Amino acid sequence: MKQTFIVSIIIVVLGLIFSLFMSGMWMAVVLPLVIMISMQITGRRAFGTGFLGVALLWLVLILIKDVPNHHILSSRMAGLLGLPNSAMFILVNVLLGGLLGGLSGWSGAVLNKAFRK
Amino acid sequence: MRKVIAILPLVFTSLLVYFLTKPMGSIPALGKLLDPVVGCWASAESVNKNYNNKLKLDGLKKGVTVSFDERLVPHIKAGNDYDLYYTQGYLHAYFRLWQMDLQTRAAGGRVSEILGDKALKFDRTQRRKGMVYGAEQSLKAMEADPRSKQMLDAYTAGINAYINTLSFKTYPLEYKLAGFEPEPWTNLKSALLLKYMADDLTGYTEDIALTVLRDMLSPEEFAALYPERLHGVNPVIPHDSVKQTASLSAPAIPADSIAWAHLTATDFEVEEEGKGSNNWVLGGSRTKSGKPILCNDPHLGLNLPSLWYEVQMTAPGINVYGVSLPGSPGVIIGFNDNISWGFTNNYRDVKDFYAIQPASATTYKFAGKEQPYINRAEKISIKGKPDYYDTVKYTVQGPVMYEETFHGPGGLKKPIAVTWMAHRPSNEVLALYMLNRSGNYNEYVAAIHNFLCPAQNMIYADRHGDIALWGQGQFINKWRGQGRYVMNGADSATLWGQNIPVAENPHAHNPAQGYIASANQTVTDTTYPYWYNGYFYEFRSWRINDVLRNTRNATVEDMFALQNDVFSVLASNVLPVMLTHITPNEITDKERNYLNMLGSWDYRLMAESKAATVFQVWWANLYATLWAKRFGKIPDQLKPSPERTMQLLKEESPYLGNIKGAVVASLRNSIDSLEKLKKADRLEWYKAKNTSVKHLTKLAPFSYSDLKIGGWGNTVNAAKTDHGPSWRMVVQMGDAIEAYGVYPGGQSGNVGSKYYATFLDKWVKGEYYKLSFYTADAKPAATYTWSINPKNK
Repeated sequence: MKQTFIVSIIIVVLGLIFSLFMSGMWMAVVLPLVIMISMQITGRRAFGTGFLGVALLWLVLILIKDVPNHHILSSRMAGLLGLPNSAMFILVNVLLGGLLGGLSGWSGAVLNKAFRK
Repeated sequence: MRKVIAILPLVFTSLLVYFLTKPMGSIPALGKLLDPVVGCWASAESVNKNYNNKLKLDGLKKGVTVSFDERLVPHIKAGNDYDLYYTQGYLHAYFRLWQMDLQTRAAGGRVSEILGDKALKFDRTQRRKGMVYGAEQSLKAMEADPRSKQMLDAYTAGINAYINTLSFKTYPLEYKLAGFEPEPWTNLKSALLLKYMADDLTGYTEDIALTVLRDMLSPEEFAALYPERLHGVNPVIPHDSVKQTASLSAPAIPADSIAWAHLTATDFEVEEEGKGSNNWVLGGSRTKSGKPILCNDPHLGLNLPSLWYEVQMTAPGINVYGVSLPGSPGVIIGFNDNISWGFTNNYRDVKDFYAIQPASATTYKFAGKEQPYINRAEKISIKGKPDYYDTVKYTVQGPVMYEETFHGPGGLKKPIAVTWMAHRPSNEVLALYMLNRSGNYNEYVAAIHNFLCPAQNMIYADRHGDIALWGQGQFINKWRGQGRYVMNGADSATLWGQNIPVAENPHAHNPAQGYIASANQTVTDTTYPYWYNGYFYEFRSWRINDVLRNTRNATVEDMFALQNDVFSVLASNVLPVMLTHITPNEITDKERNYLNMLGSWDYRLMAESKAATVFQVWWANLYATLWAKRFGKIPDQLKPSPERTMQLLKEESPYLGNIKGAVVASLRNSIDSLEKLKKADRLEWYKAKNTSVKHLTKLAPFSYSDLKIGGWGNTVNAAKTDHGPSWRMVVQMGDAIEAYGVYPGGQSGNVGSKYYATFLDKWVKGEYYKLSFYTADAKPAATYTWSINPKNK
């Protein structure tokens, strides 16, 4: 549990730095993959950690834009996607990042196992 | 088996990434769009964004300062013309790149590149109309004059300087939604944008429908229902103006058998009903200050990002404020240190159609001979499909717009060629260059004489006290009736003849009545020596003239009130007549309830008026009923005009048949619609008509609807469903210029910016901003400042 939390924080911190030159989607794929390859972790926990880390990272990145914007953009985007409000839009957006991060973390764990054999 | 399972997460991840980065049909690549770093979130602009900026730009000659006021209107101060237009281009691109890119692609028939083959018909229409051909012709003229060439070159360089800074992350959101990319700007794109406006304002195809109608009706009937000149009009050029003399004599009228083509069509396509506009100017004799007041509100499509971008432009020899069109350099409507001006559409017909008689696949009959077509290959790129090639045949008259392979309105298969003023070389950019710098009446006249298409009623006032108006454009010395219907393309007598010298265009300069007003009505009285026709509208003109005739000691506030006036001349004339045909004991209770609402109505289409809705619904039904027998299938726009119908109704004309029956039946038919509105709580006029300002994509979350504004196309405040006053401006030409304005939008085109629709509220309420116009030597009070310097200097 503690490990999951620490690794997630590492993903968030690295992600915030990488966001200066890297897209959110590539970070969601690369960061958990690389980190989990270098760890001994079960597939399930790797998924959970990647999911949590990237979801948090995306949430922070989004809030940095959304809060000073007073939700102008997110409300309009929510409308486009047929969602009731900006919070729902952010939730969907964050879950998407989490899914990417989770799958990528799981892939990392599997690759780690493969290399160890 | 375990190994297979082991690679599953890798497969899932790859599939998800693939799915998220590929657009599916019209759905954009979601992963890119929702990316928190480079996706839509990059467009979320802080409401406290600090716009201050220091820029180093390639190609700029000297330093430029841009001071933004609190409404984000830039006041550009440059050391020379080049830098001035360079900076304007940079600003237009910075705030409005997507709209100018899209509009010029649309003008040139290139929408299929973005939307796929569903836009192919639109693109082919644009090509066949000769939009690109016309833009190329004008570009030649624009690049032949060093002033307009430099203006365009600088403007294009400024736009491209901004485009070159962009990456996917910084693209306007709409590019990410539609999955295309900005392309480098060219001078041709600016020329295309001006043709886009010309098409919007002169692109009517009514000639074709009128041809069919003329053959349907007897000559007497046709003349009564479609009079060439309506009686009782207040022409733009007042009766007491200096009478124009003609240096050209009228060409001989060819025999009917030579002049006209005959067409049959079963149904009609019509374009959106007329785009109106108002402008008027009061001389000092009619104002409280003793100084002229100029007013203008051009009515155009209500869209976001707005068509207009407000700007002040200052450099040696120029200090001008007003609205500009993103995509074109200079100020279109506005004022400078000495003069102010405004435009309304002139509506004289400058687009005529010819029925072409093919002789073979590659030739057509003309003047007793076979002439070869000149072919122009139009390549249309289509997203996800192979390129489409359309060959457009050009005759001596112009491009063959419709033919067997591209049907015209009503399934018309006969080849029809079009002669259109917008195909001729003209330099409107130079006209604006000179107009922006004009200091007096003579300079204004010299400037606007370069403005050839779209023809405009160009109103004028200056600080010396002069007021004027020119019905300016390039017109043809036509024989009586020429171009009213589709002409016979095989005879040379139907070709357009000589240009009327622009100096002989209708104009008024300081008329005795002390004011001049134009609202798309008939331009001149019968003393004007040249024949013309057009699509004129009279209601707003009647109202404006009625008010101004009695105006003394006018203030700018009086002018605000007139621009927001919603008095319906139509209602005040026809409703009393309609009511006389109603017998109280022959109507139902429901009908009586609605009629009671009209009892104390003052004929004003106020936002909250329910009576206004009752009248509008009833009138629409009556109009349809009156013409139902004669013009069953023909859409409203092609029926006798509401103005003419109103006159016939008041005269109890036999052409209308059983008027009483129509009035009673139409009231009965209205009840259903009214009940429906009532049930939906939409009986108030603003709800019933639903004035909306829509994003160019029509996406509802980027748009505003149900705006609480009164009026209709036939009232001065012409706020229709998707058309209306696109820029309201009032300028008092005192020693210090006092100017007010508002447009339904905001300075930023970014849907994620608080400046996206900032002005909309005031526009709806009929309020104005006082415009901050600084003299050339004053230092603007800046909320934000950009200092721009040349790179490597």
